[in-house]
Amino acid sequence: MVEYRADVLVGCEHGEHPDLVGALKAEIERRNLGAEINVVETGCRGFCAMGPILLIEPEGIIYCAVKAADIPEVVEETLVKGRVVERLAYQEPVTHQRICHYEDIPFYHKQMRLVLRNCGMVDPRSIEEYIASGGYSALEKVLTTMTPDEVIQAITVSGLRGRGGAGFPTGRKWSSTKHAHGECRYIVANGDEGDPGAFMDRSMMEGDPYAILEGMTIGAYAIENVREGYIYVRDEYPLAVENLRLAIERATEMGLLGDHILGSDFSFHIKIVRGAGAFVCGESSALMQSLEGSVGEPRPKHVHATESGLWGQPTALNNVETWANVPLIINMGAGEYAKIGTTNSKGTKAFCLVGKVRHTGLIEVPMGMTLREIVYDIGGGPQEGREIKAIQTGGPSGGCIPSHLLDLPVDYESLAEVGSMMGSGGMIVMDDTNCMVDVARYFLDFLKDESCGKCTPCREGIKRMLDILTKIVTGNGEMSDLDKLERIARTVQRASLCALGKTSPNPVLSTLRYYRDEYEAHILQKRCPAGVCRDLITYNILEAKCTGCGRCLRNCPRKAITGERRKLHVIDQALCIKCGICKENCVFDAIEVS
Amino acid sequence: MSITLTIDGQSVQAEEGQTVLEVAKRAGVTIPTLCYHPALEPLGACRLCVVEVIQRGRSQIVTSCTMPAEPGMEVRTSTPAVMESRRTVLELLLSRCPNVPVIQQLAAQYGVTEPPFEADDPNEKCILCGLCVRACNDLVGAHVLNFSDRGISRVIGPAFMEKTRDCIGCGACTIVCPTGAIEIVLEKEALYAAKPLGPASAIYVPFLQAVPRVPVIDTDACIRFRQQARTNGELADACGVCQLLCEARAIDYTQQDEELDIEVGAVVVATGFADFDPYLAPQYSFGKSPNIITGIEFERLSNSGGPTEGEILTAEGVPPKSVAILHCVGSRDKHTNKYCSRVCCMYALKQAHLVRDKTGADVFEFYMDIRAPGKSYEEFYERVQEEGVHFIRGKGAEVTVQPDGKLLVKGEDADLSRVVAVSVDMVILGTGMTAQPDAAEVSHLFGIGCGNEGFFTEAHPKLRPVETNTDGVYLAGTCQGPRDVPDTVAHANAAAAEVLALLTKGEVVISPATAEVNRDKCVGCGDCIPVCPYTAIARVDGKAQVNAALCKGCGTCVATCPSGAIEALHFTDEQIVAQIEGVLKWV
Repeated sequence: MVEYRADVLVGCEHGEHPDLVGALKAEIERRNLGAEINVVETGCRGFCAMGPILLIEPEGIIYCAVKAADIPEVVEETLVKGRVVERLAYQEPVTHQRICHYEDIPFYHKQMRLVLRNCGMVDPRSIEEYIASGGYSALEKVLTTMTPDEVIQAITVSGLRGRGGAGFPTGRKWSSTKHAHGECRYIVANGDEGDPGAFMDRSMMEGDPYAILEGMTIGAYAIENVREGYIYVRDEYPLAVENLRLAIERATEMGLLGDHILGSDFSFHIKIVRGAGAFVCGESSALMQSLEGSVGEPRPKHVHATESGLWGQPTALNNVETWANVPLIINMGAGEYAKIGTTNSKGTKAFCLVGKVRHTGLIEVPMGMTLREIVYDIGGGPQEGREIKAIQTGGPSGGCIPSHLLDLPVDYESLAEVGSMMGSGGMIVMDDTNCMVDVARYFLDFLKDESCGKCTPCREGIKRMLDILTKIVTGNGEMSDLDKLERIARTVQRASLCALGKTSPNPVLSTLRYYRDEYEAHILQKRCPAGVCRDLITYNILEAKCTGCGRCLRNCPRKAITGERRKLHVIDQALCIKCGICKENCVFDAIEVS
Repeated sequence: MSITLTIDGQSVQAEEGQTVLEVAKRAGVTIPTLCYHPALEPLGACRLCVVEVIQRGRSQIVTSCTMPAEPGMEVRTSTPAVMESRRTVLELLLSRCPNVPVIQQLAAQYGVTEPPFEADDPNEKCILCGLCVRACNDLVGAHVLNFSDRGISRVIGPAFMEKTRDCIGCGACTIVCPTGAIEIVLEKEALYAAKPLGPASAIYVPFLQAVPRVPVIDTDACIRFRQQARTNGELADACGVCQLLCEARAIDYTQQDEELDIEVGAVVVATGFADFDPYLAPQYSFGKSPNIITGIEFERLSNSGGPTEGEILTAEGVPPKSVAILHCVGSRDKHTNKYCSRVCCMYALKQAHLVRDKTGADVFEFYMDIRAPGKSYEEFYERVQEEGVHFIRGKGAEVTVQPDGKLLVKGEDADLSRVVAVSVDMVILGTGMTAQPDAAEVSHLFGIGCGNEGFFTEAHPKLRPVETNTDGVYLAGTCQGPRDVPDTVAHANAAAAEVLALLTKGEVVISPATAEVNRDKCVGCGDCIPVCPYTAIARVDGKAQVNAALCKGCGTCVATCPSGAIEALHFTDEQIVAQIEGVLKWV
């Protein structure tokens, strides 16, 4: 095996700068350092706000927002001369201090990256790198020293619960699958992540596919009589499909998958099934319908999938993150794993921290960490001059948690109690520029198209709730609409067929619960407090601040702004379409929304 | 295995595998549904049948159509949460389809009279319950209908919403559709094709007074048999709804026609008549336009159980503005039948009355003379005259189809002594009665006589009008000659009385003068069998045998037998010779 003096890890290869790797390789080649320095294309490192990121090992130096033009300097200074390029290092937003080692950055410091340990650290296409970082030791341990029952026992003791959002105890699921009657059994990994703003599963499938394969293989061994497993990936994730496909190929070549795994009598095959990107196919029964080749529509679940799932056989379906936890538990020991987290929620959880925080990205925290720690310590708090208003968790199925509940520990029960849910891990931070009515409307608009349309409450109810919200945000709402909204929401919650429908009113109900005043402001005063709803706002130019520079005038797509140079500009309200471009462009903060 | 559960506090028994809805129905508890059909797998789509189920201390709202009944389960069908859910679902459905009576009525039951939201399309009828999809795929196996798109854009239709030849036009979807959202649109040329006025359903009782009153399956119309034939037997289990729903389990698709041997003491021949074949009178252009129909076809058209539900419509689907009725089609005509069919005048008058009454169209009756004998008939004729029907005395001579599809009827008005021609939308041919085409065969079978026209002959036209020359065989109705319903009933009653008289006697007195076969002489040539007018001779063990009960002693067989093996008792050669000798003694 070739040894290198240094590894340069590039984690945002498929981001906006696809030429980074090429530039790096070319520069290293030009300087004839090819034998000393290794360039590794890794999966996502998670620090999206600062991407593209370059990590230089073994020093652990991190460079943020690197462009291809910066490469010669990085190679010259760091890789040849051993000095840090200060201007590319992370800058602490408050103290403006430069931090060059990634462990010292608060974003990483507070996290507990267990499941994501390999994401952004290894080449996801290389099984050797996975094995070198401890991969497949869990499978080896299981096959050589543990009985299937012992594995299930370990998973049960670890307290692992479904990471797809519902939080069903994984050990119990495996055990009921194992004890159900059937010709054979199946296991399925759900990689149909579809929440807006969520990319945990994608990052895992792209950045550490072997962990998922290993977890599934261990699961197949534990559940027994499982000959085939499926990974259901949405086709919008081509890199995930590609990396998983390659991983299956390589693992099979190495005898870690397929027939007679590690020379034992245990055989297990994994197939990838590509979904067509329907949000509802993340629902277990719809996913299995889709796997079978039918239209992905949920069916009533009076009989659990563990009894009769895929092709009528007992099936254990887990989220990819759940599967990725399995090797971890075996390696750490169930007892050790169970020490992480809270009484009922064990281990860690990956979240996609997005929205109005400084440090957006993919994070992993121990269960029970408070929202405040996540948002302020890891996320770096709100943008300058803004105030956090709410945290939306669980995607379209979750709810908005108001800022006064920021000290809420993140675990399954606590989130459900306040009207939201764990979900698969989307976490959208909202500040005072977000209109909560508009947020609820946004999610319903998403669900309107993503509902399969099979049952009346979900199909018609979402449409009508959306109608009401549209009425409210356009200033035509009445107070009686709120009762109507609540009544429909209650029925949709109660009477819908599947979890998608049952949880679809959560964004409405939670915002109604915590931000009723905003709804009332829209209805009674015809005012959008956050200044978002176009029909209720006007843009005005402040006389005191306008310098008459003409930037707004030039950028206005509707030519609604008039004014002579160096004199006050005026917006013609009849022409204004409230796009906000003038405000974005004004450098003097002279445009006011009211 | 039977299980016990509680529905609204009432303890009920259920079979394992039954759903809560099925159990509730049996127990007389009403639960509203729109997407449920007993012949189809439940889908749980409309969510109207929600109930609260308490099980193992956990309460949940579930759809009763999909929820399997379990022991100890407690079901509540009208809790506030259930009622609110149903009400809201009905509000949503009514907002989607504001003009569907079924939903309006159901919604009204839950206090919803006005749709709370504006409908996207006020004419929308489909509630996407999926009954048609399930019927088309699971029952019929035609796989034409399915859902496409999702969410609020979801629609039902054939692939790519295009016309498809896979649709067999069985109409199963229209039957299961709760809201009447599906119509079968027949293409114009198909409207009156093949069997235009045939049976409305694939299962029907052959005729109203059928005994036993057992329905039969028309295999040409039955989805199952049609699919079997279409796929060369590959799809053998399509539909089967009748079998599924029949509580008596009386449906057997494997049944075949079979012949039964029954021993009886008397036979009433009541084989009826055949409608005159209008193609035999080509001057009336029957078959050249779908609007030229026979009297019997008109009866079907005007029947409330017919294809137009009793509306009198032309093939174009509109009520006719003028109609010609031609009398004596195939009757009183030396080219076809010379006799008068007796009934046509009266039914033509009735049909004229119906057309006037239902459509108000102009009606022209072409007749030679009106034969309205008997009680109230003449009065009816007068009434129809007063209703404004145009009577043209003179037989309709010719019907021609004009280029615009109208029908030109020509005839001679004998009263005015001139040729008349009227252009009409519909022509009804007053076809007469003819004997059944197989009358000759039947007459041979029973040894009864058959006139030139093919009607069976009675033993005596005045004194024995229901008997035949064969003992124990009687005639009833139009097989004997044209007659109307009251006359037929009277005739049939007479036949029945004759049969009863025969049977109650217990024994039959027969004449001793019968033929007898000398088995020693008989060579079994069989020449005697066809000549016997009473079908009294049969071949038994290779030789002729005379049934003494049938034999009238006519002696035809005696004369026919080449080997002299048959003797007529009381008229043996010896007896005849002795008689002759006796007579000649005096000479």
